[in-house]
Amino acid sequence: MKREAFLLLMPGVVVLGFVFALPVAQVLLLAFDEGPGQIGAANFSKLFVDSYYPLVAERTIRLASLITLVTALLGVPLAYVMYRAQGWIRSALIVLIVLPLMTSVVIRTFGWLVILGRGGLLARTLDMFGLAPRNFSLMHTETGIVLALAQVLLPFMTLTVLAAMSRIERNLEEAARTMGAGIFATLWHVVLPLARPGIVSGSLLVFALAVSSFVTPMLVGGVRLPVLAGAVYQQMTSTLDWPFAAAQATLLLALALLVILPYARLARARGG
Amino acid sequence: MAGGISLAARLLAVLLILVVSVFMLAPLAVVIVSSFSASEFLIFPPRGWSLRWYAEILASRAYLDAAWFSLQLAVVVTILALAIGTPAAIAITRHAVPGAEIISGLFLSPLVIPTILLGTGLLMMFSRYAGGSSFWALVAGHVIVTLPYVVRTVAAVLARADRAAEEAARVMGAPWWRRYWHVVLPQARPGIAAGAFFAFNVSFDEAVIALFLRTPGVETLPLLIYSKLEFSPDPSVAAAATLMILLTIVLMVALDRSVGLDRVAA
Repeated sequence: MKREAFLLLMPGVVVLGFVFALPVAQVLLLAFDEGPGQIGAANFSKLFVDSYYPLVAERTIRLASLITLVTALLGVPLAYVMYRAQGWIRSALIVLIVLPLMTSVVIRTFGWLVILGRGGLLARTLDMFGLAPRNFSLMHTETGIVLALAQVLLPFMTLTVLAAMSRIERNLEEAARTMGAGIFATLWHVVLPLARPGIVSGSLLVFALAVSSFVTPMLVGGVRLPVLAGAVYQQMTSTLDWPFAAAQATLLLALALLVILPYARLARARGG
Repeated sequence: MAGGISLAARLLAVLLILVVSVFMLAPLAVVIVSSFSASEFLIFPPRGWSLRWYAEILASRAYLDAAWFSLQLAVVVTILALAIGTPAAIAITRHAVPGAEIISGLFLSPLVIPTILLGTGLLMMFSRYAGGSSFWALVAGHVIVTLPYVVRTVAAVLARADRAAEEAARVMGAPWWRRYWHVVLPQARPGIAAGAFFAFNVSFDEAVIALFLRTPGVETLPLLIYSKLEFSPDPSVAAAATLMILLTIVLMVALDRSVGLDRVAA
């Protein structure tokens, strides 16, 4: 029995060890590499030589926080509507969330480039209502990055919260309603508190994904608005300072772990 | 009074659905519409309509090579991810493995660990020990990022399935391979189908690891689109993207028919 489980797990553990743990360990080791035989934090102190990297890190965290907020404001009510919907409406809503999720991030970002650019769909629409000049553009702006990445990450928030809501006892809501609470009071006092672990999990997940996102900020923000992941890529492919890239990637991992660890604890508490 | 509140709630729900629909679908819609443009440049909405950009990409070596590369990659990755992930999911759900929580966390961790970290590490590892990137370097990276989907979907299905059937097969002396072939694998089939869908889709669409491991000859379709977006995209990019969206829709319909999308999403 034990041997059977061992054999079943073996291929996965070997593959994860060689092509996941080993490369990640290599990055972490290189981050502390100061040349032949020297170990230290020199690569990290390079991050603080001037204000460039602190600003990049600050922007990355600010954007990720805003994106988390936007996805929560849209995703939590949406999850509730999905939870209550039935029949074709429910199916349509699932497609609405899963189809974009299953479309390449590159393609979705491409769509946002067409929408956000000068003379794009957004500029034309705002112009039609006299809200903004025709040459209005959200390309190379933080607002543009937030909009595009919120669309990319909304499914993760919605599906996580929906999963949490599906575990709520329907009776509790019924009880509140029968005892005279209005729908909004019921939502506020019954549904929202019960869905809180799901909302927290969804927020942690979205923050972790946003903080390490790369394709969307690179294409929408461009070189003028670098984020941490983009800086790592530049160091790896253009500047070729690999130890410095490793230090930045390590910093990014540390940032992500700050939210991944509580996320994992929550997931375990739910038994999922 | 309750009716009045319910109407307000209903209106709010409809408004929310409208806003989210536009928000989620607009980026896909503008890509699809742009692909039928007749003009030389990417302008939205297009000034005239044609299928010339589809003709263009179907005659373009660069697009066809990249599409063929992506297809081979996604197929190999799907097979490997199923072959590795399915047994792992069986072990996690059916056997009292010591440290099962840690093991399942390990298998799911590539979902949340920054992909950029894995890309960086793989580039370092393959350039140092394997003389650079290759098709198989990309396979390795994609198997890691698709494994969590397979493990998750198969484990979810097995957790709901009847364990007594496997126990019965064991008690009645079925050899291990018959137990797996006739009992466990058929029980896991919906999870395997969903896992295959996710693995194929994620690999076919993935761009971050592919960017890190890009060399001449290792170019996927999303990478080709990405590099065109960095400079000045013409409507051919929209045509290629539309075909990729179409493939996703076809796969989703197939998954819905065989397993049911509702079960996979929740």
